[in-house]
Amino acid sequence: MEKAIKKYMPIFVFPTLAAFIIGFILPFILGIWLSFCEFTTVTDAKFVGFSNYIKAFQDPDFLHSFWFTALFAIVSLVVINVFAFLLALALTQKMRGTNIFRTIFFMPNLIGGIVLGYIWQLIINGVLAKYNTALALNEWYGFWGLIILVSWQQIGYMMIIYIAGLQAIPGDIIEAAQIDGANPIQRLFKVTLPMMMPSITICVFLSITNGFKLFDQNLSLTAGEPSKLSELMALNIYNTFYGRVGWEGVGQAKAVIFFIIVVGIGMWQLKATRAKEVQQ
Amino acid sequence: MKMKRTLSWVGTIVFTILGLIYIAPIIIVLINSFKNKVYINLEPFKLPSAETWTGLSNYASAINQYGFLDAVGWTVFITVGSVLVILLCTSMCAWYITRVKSTFSSAMYALCAVSMVVPFQMVMFTLSLVADRLRLNTPWGIIIIYLGFGAGLAVFMFCGFVKSIPLEIEEAAMIDGCTPLRTFFTIVGPIMKPTYISVGILETMWIWNDFLLPYLVLDINKYKTISIVVQYMKGSYGRVDMGAIMAALIMAVIPVIIFYLSCQKHIIKGVAAGAVKG
Amino acid sequence: MKKKLLAFGLVGVCLMSLLTGCGSENENGKVYYLNFKPEQDAQWQELAEIYTEETGIPVTVMTAASGQYETTLKSEMAKTDAPTLFQVNGPVGLEGWKDYCYDLSGSDIAGQLSSTEFALMDGEKMAGISYVIETYGLIYNKSLLAQAGYSAEDINSFADLKAVAEDITARSDELGFSAFTSAGMDGSSDWRFKTHLANLPIYYEYKADGIGTTDAIKGTYLDNYRAIWDLYINNATCEPTMLSTKTGDDAVAEFVTGKAVFYQNGTWAYADISSLGDENIGMLPIYIGVEGEENQGLCTGTENYWCVNGKASEKDIQATLDFMNWCVTSEVGVNAMCGTTGAMPSGADGMGFVIPFKSNLESSNVLVNQANEYVANGYTSVSWNFPTMPSEEWKNGVGSALTTYAADQTDENWNAVVTAFVDGWASEAAK
Repeated sequence: MEKAIKKYMPIFVFPTLAAFIIGFILPFILGIWLSFCEFTTVTDAKFVGFSNYIKAFQDPDFLHSFWFTALFAIVSLVVINVFAFLLALALTQKMRGTNIFRTIFFMPNLIGGIVLGYIWQLIINGVLAKYNTALALNEWYGFWGLIILVSWQQIGYMMIIYIAGLQAIPGDIIEAAQIDGANPIQRLFKVTLPMMMPSITICVFLSITNGFKLFDQNLSLTAGEPSKLSELMALNIYNTFYGRVGWEGVGQAKAVIFFIIVVGIGMWQLKATRAKEVQQ
Repeated sequence: MKMKRTLSWVGTIVFTILGLIYIAPIIIVLINSFKNKVYINLEPFKLPSAETWTGLSNYASAINQYGFLDAVGWTVFITVGSVLVILLCTSMCAWYITRVKSTFSSAMYALCAVSMVVPFQMVMFTLSLVADRLRLNTPWGIIIIYLGFGAGLAVFMFCGFVKSIPLEIEEAAMIDGCTPLRTFFTIVGPIMKPTYISVGILETMWIWNDFLLPYLVLDINKYKTISIVVQYMKGSYGRVDMGAIMAALIMAVIPVIIFYLSCQKHIIKGVAAGAVKG
Repeated sequence: MKKKLLAFGLVGVCLMSLLTGCGSENENGKVYYLNFKPEQDAQWQELAEIYTEETGIPVTVMTAASGQYETTLKSEMAKTDAPTLFQVNGPVGLEGWKDYCYDLSGSDIAGQLSSTEFALMDGEKMAGISYVIETYGLIYNKSLLAQAGYSAEDINSFADLKAVAEDITARSDELGFSAFTSAGMDGSSDWRFKTHLANLPIYYEYKADGIGTTDAIKGTYLDNYRAIWDLYINNATCEPTMLSTKTGDDAVAEFVTGKAVFYQNGTWAYADISSLGDENIGMLPIYIGVEGEENQGLCTGTENYWCVNGKASEKDIQATLDFMNWCVTSEVGVNAMCGTTGAMPSGADGMGFVIPFKSNLESSNVLVNQANEYVANGYTSVSWNFPTMPSEEWKNGVGSALTTYAADQTDENWNAVVTAFVDGWASEAAK
């Protein structure tokens, strides 16, 4: 059978492969090459070795954006997952209207980052105006603004994953625990949580990578104000690349560094999931 | 028993309030979209008064001055086109690389897995360059870019599913004289329907809302998507028309809500399934 | 296996060669103008359409978002159909793009210049040509100023301006208007302060030191910069803390609805405010309290140079040169550029420019005429020195610091403005 299928390789694989080369492999390789070059629009690229990387690491704004992003990813991870889990627990109880509530909580997830950013900019600035201040004046307003924004956006998504996980727990295990005299708190920590570990791992990594890659929301909500202090890494890279003459190579080098960080997180996730699978 | 019922009612009430708070941001924007642009920043939380009310004029200016309807059209075109192409091509590819064991197949699989985590900033410039040189800077061409950049996740998810399909059915079909193409479309395709829905939903959510990729790839003189128009309204022409922005935000959200309410069940299932596989 | 590798290699080579390849050719060339001035977007679009109708040469005009010109120029220049006509703001802007500039010496458009000082030179090469001369200052509403009991003659120095503004603020409840429109620091309007207002301390420093550009600004007149900024933000229609969300539109709205007397902007803003009536509009110099400022005039200059993309195909270059020439010689083009109310063939308002070409027309833009009057009366125009600002990055740094300071007017926050101004200049100029 393999042989028969193999003959059809051009039809089955070629379209995807060609697009994949155009849309990913070629730009990826070019991107790595350009990170070692000085250029304005590519036709004039000159090889300069590691100097772009050195400049990237010397750029205080970039280092700031790294820590800001890391902190943002961790805080958003905790906030989103705690609330999503609690909502999932509540909405799997017997209660009127759970379906409607799930619908409502999930909906913001479908709205695009740019649109979300401007919706929240209006609201947060409106609230801050009452205290005579604004988003662009303090990076921590921007930080918490972004946290609120991504929570609003992603809690529903994670909630759905948790609900699926909760519904997959066999009822008899809980019942058995109940008969053994475990109280609800014990049941949650000793039975439900361990059974939910696969879902939790998924959600944790989804929210941490989302946090690191966040761009649209950052661009529309704060655009890095004040003085680039609320810039997350992705926006810093974009601004370095397109906003500053002569810094294109540095921007590309930053992007490679960013890529390595994100892949590092991905590898860590793979390891964590594998370890869990062995345990089970 | 009675206590339980009251508890459940309390829960419903609490969640009704929570739900209202949850949709409040959209309601606030909706209210502001009927106000004169000068008053929006000044008093965003007030209901329109006789003085501030402008009716539908913000909607008219978003549509007439900023070409919002064109943007909706292009966004629909790009999203639907890309998702259909992605579903067709990547499912075929995934079936092939799962069924044919070779170095090529495993290399392809590994590359797809890697491409899933690559941040867009890594390729933003070079991808727009490649797209431009190959003349893919149109809504038709961008479909190929989306197929390439979005292939990773889709191939990965389809592979996961194909692995769970028992070989026997396909073998039987092939022995009966079916070509691989017929086998794929008559046997494998229908079995994969749930995965098609999951992948389709995930890709739709991504492409519909994507900003930077179309912004850099498309010839924005001619084609703008919804996200691009909204960003343009805020930044361009030296002025910010808050009224038109509010109207545009509402018009950007409405199709999403309609889409969501009409295939809610599939979306929720798709997300849950996608997460478990991913 | 080897065959496969070869095949992949070939595909790769083909794709690579495409990256350096050229775009499709239009028989008679085409023009793609990346316009810097958002205010004039509509007029350029109309001119482009007319030109295409007349000659059959396709002209595309794209206007970059405010503050996004460099970003857009860079992403567009990397494309096959790159702009054939683009703009730089002066010597500093030219630095990044000089390899892309076609030598304009000897071209028809260069022959149309009224004086060679309006050309932007890169050594022997004529890299750019200025196409508009503009003036900015403190636009004021004459009738409101009269209602407050003053006239323009009363304001001849910073001290006068301060006295008038503070008096209006003190009586603003009774008068029903404020002294200044909101100094919006939203991205759509912050250039008025981080660039145009910042020009004044730079101008005086250059003048004192007898230089025309520098790698290390000293910030001699930054205290004056603070004084005028304080005056703007504390006598305005809104609380200083609200400025970061205020837009250019807000300021225009406040000015035309008579909520404020003064509005810092330039000749290009005429169309926005002409509804007040020509007799009601005037423009004052921006005084910042420097000795000898009684003779200071308005700020006049240019930061708009047309450059032709030398890497475009010859046909496109020729088409572009023809288009530029048409704009400044044909009746339609000149009317569109110089005329104001109803000057466009469609009946829309013209651009209201003063153009440095032989064809320049008498203007009906009051603000332009006011500027000419100041020159005629012997006042010294303030030159535009912001093209020597080291980078966009520097402007953004100053802008952010100004916003922070506006919200909380402490010495510490002002020191941050000084740091952004002086140290930022040095570090950006070094790059």
